[in-house]
Amino acid sequence: MISDQAKKEIDIWVAKYPEGRQSSAVMQALTIVQKENGGSLTNELKQAVADYLEMPTISVEEVATFYENYNHKPVGKHVIRFCHNISCMLNGSDELISYLEEKLDVKTGEISKDRLVSVKRVECLGACVGAPMCQIGDQYYENLTKKRIDEILDGLK
Amino acid sequence: MMVDIEIEIDGKVVHGYPGESLISIADRQGIDIPRFCYHKKLSVAANCRMCLVDIEGNPTPQPACSTLSSAGMKVHTNNEKAKTAQKAVMEFLLINHPLDCPICDQGGECELQDVAMEYGSDISRFTEGKRIVDDKGIGALIQTDMTRCIHCTRCVRFGAEVAGIVEMGATGRGEDLKIEPFLSEGIQSELSGNMIDVCPVGALTSKPFRYEVRSWQMNSIQTIARHDLVGSNIFTQTHKNKVKRVVARDNESINETWISDRDRFSYQGLNSENRVLIPKIKVKGEWKDASWSDALDFATNGIKKNAKEGSQFGTLASKNATLEELFLLQKFTRGLGSDNLDYRLDTSNPFNAKVLESNISLTELETIDHALIVNSYLRLEQPMINHRIRKATLNGASVSTINAKAFNFNYRISQSVLTSPQNTVATLSGVLKALLDKSSQTLPGYLNSVTIDQTHIDIANALSNAKHPVVVLGEHVNGNKCSDQVAQLVANIAKASEAKTLNASLTGNAHSAERVNFKPDNGKNALQILSSDLTAFILFDIYPNFDCIESKNAIEHLSRDDAFVVVMNSFDDESVLSFANVILPIASFYETSGTHINVDNIAQSYSASVKSAGESKPGWKVIKVLADLLNLEGFDFTDSSQIADEALSLSPSFSEIEVPISNSEMPNVATVWQYTPYASDVVVRHASSLQQTRIGQMSEASVCKATAKLLKLSEGDLYNGIPVNINESVAEGCVFVHTHLPRQLGVI
Ligand code: SF4
Ligand code: FES
Ligand code: FES
Repeated sequence: MISDQAKKEIDIWVAKYPEGRQSSAVMQALTIVQKENGGSLTNELKQAVADYLEMPTISVEEVATFYENYNHKPVGKHVIRFCHNISCMLNGSDELISYLEEKLDVKTGEISKDRLVSVKRVECLGACVGAPMCQIGDQYYENLTKKRIDEILDGLK
Repeated sequence: MMVDIEIEIDGKVVHGYPGESLISIADRQGIDIPRFCYHKKLSVAANCRMCLVDIEGNPTPQPACSTLSSAGMKVHTNNEKAKTAQKAVMEFLLINHPLDCPICDQGGECELQDVAMEYGSDISRFTEGKRIVDDKGIGALIQTDMTRCIHCTRCVRFGAEVAGIVEMGATGRGEDLKIEPFLSEGIQSELSGNMIDVCPVGALTSKPFRYEVRSWQMNSIQTIARHDLVGSNIFTQTHKNKVKRVVARDNESINETWISDRDRFSYQGLNSENRVLIPKIKVKGEWKDASWSDALDFATNGIKKNAKEGSQFGTLASKNATLEELFLLQKFTRGLGSDNLDYRLDTSNPFNAKVLESNISLTELETIDHALIVNSYLRLEQPMINHRIRKATLNGASVSTINAKAFNFNYRISQSVLTSPQNTVATLSGVLKALLDKSSQTLPGYLNSVTIDQTHIDIANALSNAKHPVVVLGEHVNGNKCSDQVAQLVANIAKASEAKTLNASLTGNAHSAERVNFKPDNGKNALQILSSDLTAFILFDIYPNFDCIESKNAIEHLSRDDAFVVVMNSFDDESVLSFANVILPIASFYETSGTHINVDNIAQSYSASVKSAGESKPGWKVIKVLADLLNLEGFDFTDSSQIADEALSLSPSFSEIEVPISNSEMPNVATVWQYTPYASDVVVRHASSLQQTRIGQMSEASVCKATAKLLKLSEGDLYNGIPVNINESVAEGCVFVHTHLPRQLGVI
C-alpha cells in the first residue's frame, strides 16, 4: 500500500521522535502518502499508515479529519485552497469563490470536468494582510480580484 | 502515608489528599457538582466545563474536575458566580442537543436531563438550526444516536484507557466534530457495553433494550453474574417478570464499575423460544408432556429400577450450577451410594484443578510486575481478570505467554512462545529448568534430559527478575491429555520463582463445585461416567454437543437402550431429546436463588430476579423432591439459604497432589478447541445479540502452513466443520479452533 520510497521518507520523520513515539510522525506520513496517491487519502491508505506507525486507525482518522491539509476525496491536479475566514471574508472571499465556481463550473469540494482543478474552502492561512487570498500547491496568491483569478487560472496547466 | 489537607467547600471544612481533584473530594463528601466528562475511573479531560466552581481569589470559575486541591482553598459550588457559569455552560450544551427525551431510552436516567432540570433554562434563546449527525451504526450491542452526543469523550477514553482497544474517536473539528469509530464494522471489545454506562446522555444505549420499556417502570434487583470466575456484581432490571436489561453494580474489589459484554447481554437468552417449559417423559420412544408429579415418579422409578446398586448411577452437572444445586446433587448422588459425579466435562484429564490453586486476589493482580499466561486467551475467557492484568501493565508490568496461538491481547506481550499442546510439557520443563539453573538448585530427575533454549531462559529471567510475578493457567489446558502435568509444572514454576498462581482453567462456578467436592473420591469422573457401563444418570443443565469434550461418544453412550437418563435442563436441545428418558424443566440464571463462589473464594448469594419460566422450578427444589421420593436423609430444607449455610460450612479444601512428569504418548497433531466467550454456556449461547457480534461470529480453525500440508488442508476447507485459516500465528503441530459451533461436529 505504501511504497518503499514513501516508507523511507516517513522513516526520516519517525527518526526525529523518541523511540516508541513513532506515531508522532502521523501528519508527515499522511502528507507523504497523500502526495503519492495524487493528492487524496483513502480508508486503505489511512489504515496502512496506522499499521506502519503501529497506532489505532481511528487516531489516524482523527488527525486526518482535523486538519484541512488532507483530502478525503480525489482532487484535481491543482487544488485551489481558498481562505474563507474572517479577514478574507470581510474582503470579499465569498464572492470570489462564487466567481471561481462559476468560471470553472465546479462546486467547492469537487473536481473540474477536465480534472485539472478542484476548489476547497479552508480556514485562515495566516496571510490576512493580503486578504482575500488562496493557496495553490506551495504558492500563496494574495489581494485577489476577479481579474487576478482569471490570470491565475490561465496559468494553470 | 498520605498527608491530608484541609480545604473549605461551601463553608464546610473537608479533607483531601494533596493532588486530589476538587470534584473527587466533593464526591466523597456528598457535595453535588454537576459534570459530564468527569468519570472517576477515567482520565480527566475537562472538556465539558459543566463542573465550574468558584474558588476564592480566582478571577474566573475553574473546572472542579481538573483543579487540584491545595491547603486552605475556599471553594463555592453554588454561589452566584458558580451558578451563573454552570447555567451558561448548560445553555451551550443544549444548543445542539435534540431534546428528544420522550423518545430517548436514556430518558429518566440521563445525566444531561437531570442536570438540565436543575441548571437549564426553560426557554431557549437559540433560534438557529440544530446540528444533526448521521449514525454509522457500531454493531449489535450498542445503539447510537449521535445527534444526542455532547462530546464528553468518556466513551473514547474508555476505549483507550480501560478496554485497551481504541475504537471510538473524535473526528472532524468544530461544528463537524463527531464521535465515531473508523469504519462501521462493529465494535470489537469484550467490554464494549460499559460505554453505554459511561455515556451521560442517550447517544449510546443498549440495542437489545431499545424501546423495550421506560427505565422507571423496571425493578432493579441486586444479583451476581455467573458466567465466569469473577462473579461480577450486577443489577437485573425487570418488568412484568422478564429481565429487560442488566447493568453494572459497583464493587471495587470484584468488578470495580465494569462488567463484560457477556454478563451484560446474556440475559437475552432467558427469553429465547428454546426454553423447556413443561416436564416431559419418553414412553415407548415417544415424548409426552407430563405433570410434575408424574414426571418425578417416572424419574425416581427409573432410577430405582436401573440402578439397583449405587455404583450403577452417575451424576453430571454444569459448572454454572449454583452452590446449592451442586451441594444437593452431590448429597443426592452420595446418598444413593454412588461416588460417580463430576462437573469437569470439558477436560480430557481432570486433575488440573487439584494440582494448581489460585492464591492471588483480583485486586492483588493489579500490583503484579510480571505475568506469565499459559494456555489462555485470557482477554476473552475472563475479561475482568484480564482487565486487572491490563491495569498492572499500565503501571509497568510485563506479560509473557506460552500459548498455541499468538492472540490479540489488549496489552503488549513481551515474550510470546508458541507451543503446541504436545510440546507444552517440554516448554514448561525448559522454563523450570532454566529457573532452577539460575538459582543453582538441584534438578528433579525428570528435568535431566530436558533441553533449554533462549525462549525458556527469557521467560525464566522475566519471572525471576520480577518482585511480584503471577502465573496464570487458562482454558486451553483442558483438552490436553497431559493437563495434570502441565498444571504441576505451572505450580513448580511458580514455586521456583516465588510467583502467585491463578488457575483459570475451570470457570463459571467451579469454585462452588470444588467446595462441595462435586467430583469422585474413588468413583468415576466425567469421562469414565460417559464411557463405562452405568445404567442410570442425572444430567444437570448439560448439553453434551457443546459441553462434553468427547461429545459424540458421550451422546452415543447415553443413548444405549439400558441407560436411563434423567435430565434437568432449562433449554431444549435436539441431542438431549435423543437420549433422555425424562426432562425436568429447571430455572435458569436470574430465575433462582443461589450462590456463586469466585476466584477469591468469596461466596456471593443472590435471590431470584424473576419467576422461573413456564412450569420450570428452581433446581434445588427439584433435587430435594427427588431425594424425598427416594427416601434419602438430610434433605429437610425449606429455603435455599439453609442449603448455602450447610454447603459453606465446608471449608475450601485444596489437597495438593504431586503429579509425576513423564513422557506421555501424544498425537502428531493436536487440536485446541475453544468456544467464543458467547458460546461458553447455554444461556449465553441463546443470547441473540451477542451472537451477532464479531466476537460471537468467530469460527475459524487456524493452522500453520507446515501443519496444513501434513493434514492436507487448504484455506477455506472444513476441519471438523470449521473453516480453515492458514496463518503463521499458530504453533506447529496443532490446529487452533475458535468457534461458536458445537464440538459434536467431530470428535476432538
Ligand atoms: S457518545 Fe456519549 S460518551 Fe461518547 S462522547 Fe458522546 S456523550 Fe460522551
Ligand atoms: S482570514 Fe484568510 S488568511 Fe487569515
Ligand atoms: S466535568 Fe469538569 S469539565 Fe467536564
